[in-house]
Amino acid sequence: MGKRLKIYLPFAANEMKRQMAYKGAFYLFILIDLFSSFIRYYLWMAIYGSSGQEVLGGLSRSEMVVYVFMVYVTSSVVMISISTKVSDDVVMGTVAMNLIKPIDYRLSLISQAFGALMYRFLVPCIFIWSGLEIYKVTVLGLTLAGGKEILLYLLSCIMSFMIYVLFDFCFGMIAFFTTYIFGLRLVKEALLGFLTGQLIPISFFPKAVRQVFDFLPFSSMVYTPVMIYLGKYTGSTLMFMLLRQAAWVMILYLLGSLIWKKVTKRLVVLGG
Amino acid sequence: MIKVDHIHKDFVSPKKYPGFRGAVKGLFSNEKVIKKAVDDISFTIEKGEIVGYIGSNGAGKSTTIKMMTGILTPTKGSCEVAGINPSRNRKENAQNIGVVFGQRTQLWWDLPLSESFTILKEIYNVSDEMFQAQMDFLNRVLGLPEFFDRPVRTLSLGQRMRADLGAALLHNPKVLYLDEPTIGLDLVVKDNIRKAIKEINEKYQTTVILTTHDIGDIEELCSRIIIIDEGKKIYDGSLAALKEIYGTKRTVTVEIREPEKVKNLCLAEILGVGQEDCTASFDKESSTLNVTFNKHKIQVPQILSAVMERVEIKDVQIQETELAQIVKEIYNHGMREGS
Repeated sequence: MGKRLKIYLPFAANEMKRQMAYKGAFYLFILIDLFSSFIRYYLWMAIYGSSGQEVLGGLSRSEMVVYVFMVYVTSSVVMISISTKVSDDVVMGTVAMNLIKPIDYRLSLISQAFGALMYRFLVPCIFIWSGLEIYKVTVLGLTLAGGKEILLYLLSCIMSFMIYVLFDFCFGMIAFFTTYIFGLRLVKEALLGFLTGQLIPISFFPKAVRQVFDFLPFSSMVYTPVMIYLGKYTGSTLMFMLLRQAAWVMILYLLGSLIWKKVTKRLVVLGG
Repeated sequence: MIKVDHIHKDFVSPKKYPGFRGAVKGLFSNEKVIKKAVDDISFTIEKGEIVGYIGSNGAGKSTTIKMMTGILTPTKGSCEVAGINPSRNRKENAQNIGVVFGQRTQLWWDLPLSESFTILKEIYNVSDEMFQAQMDFLNRVLGLPEFFDRPVRTLSLGQRMRADLGAALLHNPKVLYLDEPTIGLDLVVKDNIRKAIKEINEKYQTTVILTTHDIGDIEELCSRIIIIDEGKKIYDGSLAALKEIYGTKRTVTVEIREPEKVKNLCLAEILGVGQEDCTASFDKESSTLNVTFNKHKIQVPQILSAVMERVEIKDVQIQETELAQIVKEIYNHGMREGS
């Protein structure tokens, strides 16, 4: 197993190098995402200010600040789109070049995404995270996040990453049937903004809606790790959340394998 | 080494209707069109052979290659490469083969060429000594060092093609598929690529399957050719045999001093053969006589002596029917009516 995985390391390393090669685009993306996080921050502060209540949807005002920025940190390391790559490979016919190598296509895509994850974690995330912790202690008057929370958060993040990329792989398979998935990707992103709790914490929704969200894999992508970081889950609930994430990893892995098998049977390589 | 057994590949696509009304109709119709890209092809290729796989555009060459590499699954029939079924065991098969698609690259577009080779070393699990030896060999035959540190996207087409060939050979594959490896290259680079292919074939006994539209590639490299048309195999045999069957016509061009003397010359009659086996045409401007004849019936000296008896000649040129001519004829008429 170790040897098998070793051949995918260069894919991760190369993705990091590639990201560094296009650093202009990279910093622009950070800026845009960070900008929208600040908008969300001011929006929530206005909501808290006008409601006159200290706790909304189970989150206090200071917790909301942590929530908004931890959502930024989490989603930028977790939500690394591989369906874009699949769709490019299909449109350009480069998927053929991947298939002539003795490698697993999905694993090579996940490895690349992992390279991007490492790079994003090192460059913007760790700084914003530390900045948030400093702000928490000095301005909000909260205590630093404990070692246990951080470890559990990171564990949960890794599983979130797996859930997201495995889901996105299945989603990307649509490209083999429709060729272009740009429009569908916009729909997907808009929906995920809600379903993952990126825009509004899931605890704000009515109970019936929440149950539906809980049933879907999306809440495990961003909401779960952030809530773990906030220390909202303890004991058996925490265990349940982590196990639910692990279950989704398994389910989406198997689903992806099944779809891939079907797709390769009817694969058409475009462009001669 | 390679066994292809009654292989078929159909592509199914929704039926399209012409015009705007057709486009609307297409939204509601569920009709499908089946295109037979490869239609019942079988052949066997031995170790160390260089086989030219030729056919007009869209004949199904690339589709066959893609099935032999395991990218596409055959609709019917099977193939086996070095004892492995490529579509069922794609990864095992990939370890044994090297592929160059002339119109694409398998190199990492944004990274220096050297990086691509390091990645490929890991992917194919090439040992350090093997890597060193293979790199020395490839550097010598393909001249990679001059652009080894440049990002792949900045390479010229010729450099990229050499690099791609190198990348396909790094793990010393048993079978090498080349899909139009000389497309768009200048004569010098073409020549280098051909030499490299030849050297690799001699050194490692690599089986090479080559599709190309360049007749030069075939004449220089292939001992055997397979011609397909509309997904069907129409010729499989040696290059010499093809020339034997189709290249029976030869042409002699004779330049003459006194043109008026040959006006009434009927060579077929003089030599005692039918009109179809010997035709002559006279070109006034260059004052040359073109004699096209069946090489199985008449020999060149017979024609020359017959002409020289009657007129004084300045110069003689003898032309073999070119392979390009033969191939063109086959594409135009198909072999079935031809033979």
